[in-house]
Amino acid sequence: MESFSDQQSREEIISSANRARWELGVNFHDTVIESIYEDASRIARKTVVVEGGREAYSTDIAIDKIVTSRWLGFPIMFLLLALVFWLTVAGANYPSGLLANLLIDKFLPVLHSLGDWLHMPSWLTGVLFDGAYLALAWVVAVMLPPMAIFFPMFTLLEDLGYLPRVAFNMDSLFRRAGAHGKQALTMSMGFGCNAAGVVAARVIDSPRERLIAIITNNFSLCNGRWPTQILIATIFIGSMVPAAWAGLVSAGAVVTIAVTGIVFSLVVSWGLSKTVLKGEASAFSLELPPYRPPRLMQTLYTSLIDRTIFVLWRAMVFAMPAGVVIWLVANIHVGDQSIAEHFIHWANPFALFFGLNGVILLAYIIAIPANEIVIPTILMLTVLSANIVRAGAGTGVMFELDSLEDTAGILRQGGWTLLTGVNLMLFSLLHNPCSTTIYTIYKETGSMKWTMLATFLPIVMGLIICFFTTQIWHLYHI
Amino acid sequence: MKLLFIPMLSAPAINILLGLLFVLLLIWFFWPGRGGLALMGSFSTNRKKAMLEDALKYLFDCEYRNQPCDINSLAGNLHISGDKASDTVQSLISMGLATSSNHDLSLTDTGRSYALRVIRVHRIWEKYLAEETGVASTHWHTEADRVEHMMTEDSVEELAARMGHPVFDPHGDPIPTVLGELPDNKGVLLSSLKEGDMGLITHLEDEPRAIYDQLVVFGLYAGMQVYVTDVTPQKITIVAGGDEVILTPFFASQVTVNVFSENEPVREKHNNLALLQVGQSAEVAGISPHLRGQQRRRLMDLGIVPGTEVRAVIRSASGDPVGYRIMGTTIGIRKSQAEHIYIKNIRTYEPEYQA
Repeated sequence: MESFSDQQSREEIISSANRARWELGVNFHDTVIESIYEDASRIARKTVVVEGGREAYSTDIAIDKIVTSRWLGFPIMFLLLALVFWLTVAGANYPSGLLANLLIDKFLPVLHSLGDWLHMPSWLTGVLFDGAYLALAWVVAVMLPPMAIFFPMFTLLEDLGYLPRVAFNMDSLFRRAGAHGKQALTMSMGFGCNAAGVVAARVIDSPRERLIAIITNNFSLCNGRWPTQILIATIFIGSMVPAAWAGLVSAGAVVTIAVTGIVFSLVVSWGLSKTVLKGEASAFSLELPPYRPPRLMQTLYTSLIDRTIFVLWRAMVFAMPAGVVIWLVANIHVGDQSIAEHFIHWANPFALFFGLNGVILLAYIIAIPANEIVIPTILMLTVLSANIVRAGAGTGVMFELDSLEDTAGILRQGGWTLLTGVNLMLFSLLHNPCSTTIYTIYKETGSMKWTMLATFLPIVMGLIICFFTTQIWHLYHI
Repeated sequence: MKLLFIPMLSAPAINILLGLLFVLLLIWFFWPGRGGLALMGSFSTNRKKAMLEDALKYLFDCEYRNQPCDINSLAGNLHISGDKASDTVQSLISMGLATSSNHDLSLTDTGRSYALRVIRVHRIWEKYLAEETGVASTHWHTEADRVEHMMTEDSVEELAARMGHPVFDPHGDPIPTVLGELPDNKGVLLSSLKEGDMGLITHLEDEPRAIYDQLVVFGLYAGMQVYVTDVTPQKITIVAGGDEVILTPFFASQVTVNVFSENEPVREKHNNLALLQVGQSAEVAGISPHLRGQQRRRLMDLGIVPGTEVRAVIRSASGDPVGYRIMGTTIGIRKSQAEHIYIKNIRTYEPEYQA
């Protein structure tokens, strides 16, 4: 009985509290919070003494007047970002070659002779060395140098305080797309690596805009896709024009693809903010921190450990099993053909509809850990499926050729045309993010739904775009 | 005999047409709100149950506002035919939720507590949409109308607890308690006020939608102070939030106000932050209730509270946002947000801060 009366008095207290709150009216809560803030800031004004600081601040304003000025703001931004990308591309070439030489040309034979010495069966050396190790070595060789150059430079600009000004200048463009100005930064970061771009979206504190930045980051043509674009553009588009113009035209084609990616990311941002993300909360603010001299050692440390090693580690974890799968599909035979050949022949009619081919589809499926190994996988599969003799490094072993003519030769023997080249360039821009990025998206959003959207939206768009490109092409080239 | 002219379409052309059709189908399927996916969702809601609950809500609303109601007004309010309305009423009566005498419908006690439960879900959901999502204010009501028939009691209570057990919805209506208590209706219609009266808007009628949308366009919201300056049979002129608004008596009858008993201070008309030019400073006077939830808290966290000094220091290369100096940091604020921050005492600040 006592517990009953307790219950009753509790209900009475709650209901009288409710009546009191109704009496106080709608604005009561806000007024209380506002007055707490007001008191706090009044106390702070009275008690906190600011010494100096004015000098530094007026220099800040002087710099800000230049980097955010109507005429100089954008040119300065483009020049700085172009410089960063150029340094990355130019600087990464040599160390990448060195690493490839060391890890693949030198160390792989060592591993093989070790296998021979231990009398390992050939399937085991295939799976372990030609599969898992090769994929791992490849990813390290092509990913590590550009990231180790790009991330420190980017972090340096960030530390300096310049990047928030870029976001500040670009905000009005992104606002129209329903996004946050800081998406300009995550997008630029995405040109280095999409997984890092997705992580960088943490700087966007408004939930809706952060999701938009994460989902659309894949439209930034990442480091791993630039070499594919350049190779295919040189072989198929550069060869359309006189040799003197070839370099310029193929570079133009690659830049066009990258710019198309930026346009797609803005359009998709707009679409998302108007549809599926309409209901997500949004709260904009953009802090412009004071400029300060960059702390070199700390920048190097954070960019190498937090960004480069972090991303590389995830890529390596995914690369090894993929390497095994790549070797196995080419070497396990069902009937008189390998699994890879079965898939390629089965997928060909369907893929041709989209102006692609079975090899490309299979390569994008099994090379999901990193865009860097797509071209080596394509070459290996083409040699395998077109029965090209005296080329390649062995069944199931990814390879690349030093000579552009030889690469072009293999692809043409595999039935590639200018249309295939154009479609591969489009598909390389518009397809699912690599598994590292997908995993990172899942980690960052904690949501299967958004991860699925970020994965399948670009691939559906890519197939649609390739389809129309192909069919319109056929309409004019019958 | 004439030969029929059949346009010869080549295979790629047919493919393109089929492709276009497929893309359109895809867009339609995923279109939010009324696409295929949304339709599939709406099939899963129980139409019959939703209709009964809507009818109960309407009957309760009549009772709360002391207005009589019958089958015709019910049919009109729910946008259904008279036959359907009378079917619905029959069901309600047979379930013991309503009674009918001389065409006047009224709720039984069971019916009333059922209605209050539905209203509680509706208003809590509206509060949730307003405070924690980016859904536009004109969509709160329709969204809540859909959700109120689907939510379980537990999930509603969980949501209410997370929001600190709110007692008002964003339109200013009180939210019934779990036990079904509601305060008495003390408000009067804006149309009944006289010149010189002052009051606080407590409710904007959210049905019909078109009228509500218009009231939102006028800039009216629950919690706003109004001051009646002129009343004629054709129009009522009020000063609300510093702006003059002219309403027809019909529009004014859709607004409920609590008249102030004593003379409470009325907020004078303020400038907004978007008007501040680079090189000027001002004092923050307040944040408009249009900025809610996270947005409001973020601004207050940054130091935008009454009394703080703000200076406009830089304008972005594209013109918007503008960087403001607030409590020792520079913060970029978009024009659309700055328009909802009130300021006073605008002046030009000392040149030592300028470059």
